Amino acid sequence: MVRDALDANLGEHWVVGEISNARLAPSNHFYFTLKDSRSAINVVMFKSAFNRMRFKPADGMEVLVRGRVQIFEQRGALQLYAEEMEPRGAGALQLAFEQLKRRLEAEGLFDRARKRAMPYLPRRIGIVTARGGAGLRDMLRILFDRFPNLHVIFRPAKVQGDGAAKEIADAIDDLNRDGRAELLIVGRGGGSLEDLWAFNEEIVARAIFRSAIPVISAVGHEVDYTIADFVADLRAPTPTAAAQIAVPSRAELTERVASLGASLATVMQRELSGRRESVDDLAARIRHPGVAIARARERVAEVEGELADAVSSRITEWRRSVRELRLRLRSPEAMVREMRLAASRLGNSLVHGAQSALEARRRRLAATAGRLDALSPLKVLDRGYAVVINRRDSRAVLDAATVMPDDELDIRLARGRVSARATGRAI
Amino acid sequence: MATKTKKFEDELKDLEKIVDQIDSGELSLEESIAAFERGVMLVKALNGKLDEVERKVELLTRSAGGELRTAPFEGSPDDKHPSGAKDEDETPS
Repeated sequence: MVRDALDANLGEHWVVGEISNARLAPSNHFYFTLKDSRSAINVVMFKSAFNRMRFKPADGMEVLVRGRVQIFEQRGALQLYAEEMEPRGAGALQLAFEQLKRRLEAEGLFDRARKRAMPYLPRRIGIVTARGGAGLRDMLRILFDRFPNLHVIFRPAKVQGDGAAKEIADAIDDLNRDGRAELLIVGRGGGSLEDLWAFNEEIVARAIFRSAIPVISAVGHEVDYTIADFVADLRAPTPTAAAQIAVPSRAELTERVASLGASLATVMQRELSGRRESVDDLAARIRHPGVAIARARERVAEVEGELADAVSSRITEWRRSVRELRLRLRSPEAMVREMRLAASRLGNSLVHGAQSALEARRRRLAATAGRLDALSPLKVLDRGYAVVINRRDSRAVLDAATVMPDDELDIRLARGRVSARATGRAI
Repeated sequence: MATKTKKFEDELKDLEKIVDQIDSGELSLEESIAAFERGVMLVKALNGKLDEVERKVELLTRSAGGELRTAPFEGSPDDKHPSGAKDEDETPS
């Protein structure tokens, strides 16, 4: 086929062959030999054409080359001046994609470890996509559905055709310079592989990589994978999905906060009513001292009575014995004297015993009263509680609902009172 | 105030923890009241964060001189008359 090309007129040709002796000169002109089983021709591809190519040619690759055959006069040899080159077999785009992917991957641009975390509640979202495209419409609709008060900073960019990659990269850089967005969505709606191509360009990959703001890629449909998807911190299958991932549902969050607020009020109320019960319990017991003292008094009186009875009955008994003994004894006077003495001693000790028993009971009563005193509401104040009295009705305030704005309140503390005016309440 | 700089999700976790703590009954009265007050503050802060930002769509452009400019963007979905015009450089999906 090389010979065929040479046999024809000099001029523009499409030639198929295998690359060998590939060499990139420092000038960035690319030299190689294109050969098939029977013949070969030297090819030069100048820098401008070479840089336009999306894949990197290498030895052994079968390619289709378009170019002009001319004589390289200094050497008197025919040479093919290549304008365009495409790999045979796999498409040029596919090959370019694979090559760039491998290179960036080796460089670490896809590393999981360097992916930035998605903010939980981004309130400013930067969007890079085409103005008026389906992608933008879908994204804005979903974003505002989920979070109605969202601030979107839209940086339009051409997303296909010449210069699209550069515009996308610039847009990502601009949003970073602006710096207000907390999250970027970069993408576009579906299209052909060629339409999506800008997102496979290295400058886009690099712009995403250097973005300080986390980036969600959202290119085309679910089946489309682009280089941008691999570099992005998160890949969304579609622009719509990106919007869903980007922001939480405000309604859900509001509900979550409200329900936590309600739980907070409930647990606090339960906590307080638990404590109020134990205070009420104490208060109930505090009513006892009067009763208890009266009961104790009764008991003391009873005991006194019993003792008096016991003493007098003993004394009577002894007197009787004394009388009997006096009658039985021969020297009655002495005996009587003795008996009298004994009787009065015993009487004394009985009275004394009764008195000390009374004393012990009095002491116990005093101690009980002291303990009850420790439980009195006034002592509770000593522990930091306060009683709030509403002057309007002179009642203790138990429920914030009974307090009206500007009500005058007396706060009774352990020591002294404070006057206050109600300025607000929470029920 | 510490809550100003804390992230929404962290404050949400703090609030959950406070509810659990009070519920556990392990706090003294003073601690319960302090926790409750902090909880009330967190609810306010969280709601504040949800309300913080005003809804808008801004258009960011770069002038020839490289200056960034922002302007309100017409064509957001809540506009009465959406632009409707499709950019020639994107195939509608």
